[in-house]
Amino acid sequence: MILRPFEYVESKTVDEAVTALRSGGDDARVIAGGTALVPLMKHSVLRPERLVSIARIPGLADIAPATAGGLSIGGVATHWAVSHAKVVQERSPLLAYACGRVASPTVRSMGTLGGNLCYGESASDPSPALLALRATVRLHGPGGARTVPITEFFTGFYATALHEAEVLTRIDVPAMPAGARWRYLKWTPRAQEDKALVGLAAMLVLDGRRCRLARLAVGGVGASPMVLARAEAALRDHELDEATIARAADAAAGEVEPMDDLQGTAEYRRDMLRVWVRRVVTGLTEERAA
Amino acid sequence: MPVVELTVNERAVRVDVAGHWTLIQLLRDGLGLLGTKEGCGEGSCGACTVLVDGRLTRACLALAVRAAGTRVTTIEGVATDAALHPIQDAFVRHGAIQCGFCTPGLVITAKALLDEHPRPTDHEIREFLSGNFCRCAGYNLILNAVRDAAGLLTEKR
Repeated sequence: MILRPFEYVESKTVDEAVTALRSGGDDARVIAGGTALVPLMKHSVLRPERLVSIARIPGLADIAPATAGGLSIGGVATHWAVSHAKVVQERSPLLAYACGRVASPTVRSMGTLGGNLCYGESASDPSPALLALRATVRLHGPGGARTVPITEFFTGFYATALHEAEVLTRIDVPAMPAGARWRYLKWTPRAQEDKALVGLAAMLVLDGRRCRLARLAVGGVGASPMVLARAEAALRDHELDEATIARAADAAAGEVEPMDDLQGTAEYRRDMLRVWVRRVVTGLTEERAA
Repeated sequence: MPVVELTVNERAVRVDVAGHWTLIQLLRDGLGLLGTKEGCGEGSCGACTVLVDGRLTRACLALAVRAAGTRVTTIEGVATDAALHPIQDAFVRHGAIQCGFCTPGLVITAKALLDEHPRPTDHEIREFLSGNFCRCAGYNLILNAVRDAAGLLTEKR
C-alpha cells in the first residue's frame, strides 16, 4: 500500500509547527509517530496535503519528574519510552503499565503518548489511566498556550478539544496518592494485540475497608474514553463490601453509552464493564496496599 | 526528489526517495534490499519489521524522509558472511519456517527481544512476538526457536 504525495515539514520548534499548520489549514496534519495517521492516509480516510512533523522538536520527547511527585511528559515521548522510564515506573506505575499494553512492542516504540491522545480513539490504553490520574495537557496554538484537564479533552467519537493548528506539547501527571492501589485491566475478546473492548483504569485509596479515594475511567466502551463518575461516587466514603461494589458496577454500566461494532455489541460491552468493575474493585480491596 | 543519507546494515548509503515514500519503499525500491517484506501495509502484521537506531520499527508506517541520519538494520544485516545469526540458525533447526514471509520480521523482532532481555521469560517472548503474524500458524515452532536461541532449551537437558 502506498501513500499519496504530500509536502513534509520537519519542525524545529513548536511555533514553527503551529505556523506551518495554520498556513496549511484543513489540508495540514500533525505527524508524530505516524502509527495512527499513516494507515488512515493509506486507506484515503485522510488526504492531507501537508504533514507537519513535531517528532524532532528538541525537548518534546523528554520525560521529567515534576513538583510534588508528579511527572511532565513531552507530547512525542513514545509508549515504549514512557513504559520503560524509571521515573514513570516509580511515580506513576499505573501510567507505565497502561502504556506498556498499547498494541505491540513495535507500535509502542513508534507511537507517541500525545499522538494517542490527539487521535481521540475510545479504545486507547493510556487515556483511561490519565483520566484516573486526572492529568492535564498543554496545548500550543496560534493564540498561545493553554492547559486543559484531560477530563475535558475528549469530546466525542474521535473528537478532542484541540483547536485548529494546535499542538499537544506536554502531559502533566499528578502524583499517585500514598498507599494508592491501582490496576489497568485490558479486556480483549480475541488476541493480546487487539484494541480494548473494556480498558478499565482504577485507583483506590482505602482506610481499612473504607474507600477514601476512588478513581475509575474506561476506554473502548463508549464514544470516547471517560471517567466513571457515578461508579466513583458509589465507592467513595463507603465501606467496600460486596453490595457496595455491586452498586458501583451497576452505576458504571448505567452511565456509559456503549457502541456496537465488529468486536462486540453494545450490550456485551455494558455487561463486561459491569463484570470488570466488580472484579477489579474487589481485587484491589483484597490486595495489600502498595 | 529528496536524497536521504543513512546507515543501512553498517554501510553508509545515499538514496533518492519520493517525499511520500515509506521506509519499506526506501529499502526495497531504493536500495533493492528485498529481504524485508510488506504484508498488510498498515502496521498490523509485523512482516516489515526492521530496527531503526536499535528500536523496533514498522517499515510500512515510517516515512522514508525521517530515516535520514538513522542506523537501520534489516534481515540482510543479521547474518555475517561466515554464519547465520544464532536466531536464524535456531529457526532453521526447529523448522520454524513454513512459507517464510513472516520470517524476516520475526527474526528482527526476536533480535530486539534478545538485545533487551538476553534471558527472556516465556511471557516476554510471547509479548514481544505478539505483533508478528504467521499465517501458516507455526507459532509453537517459532517460540521454540526463540527459546533455543536464548539458550533456554539446552539448559533444561
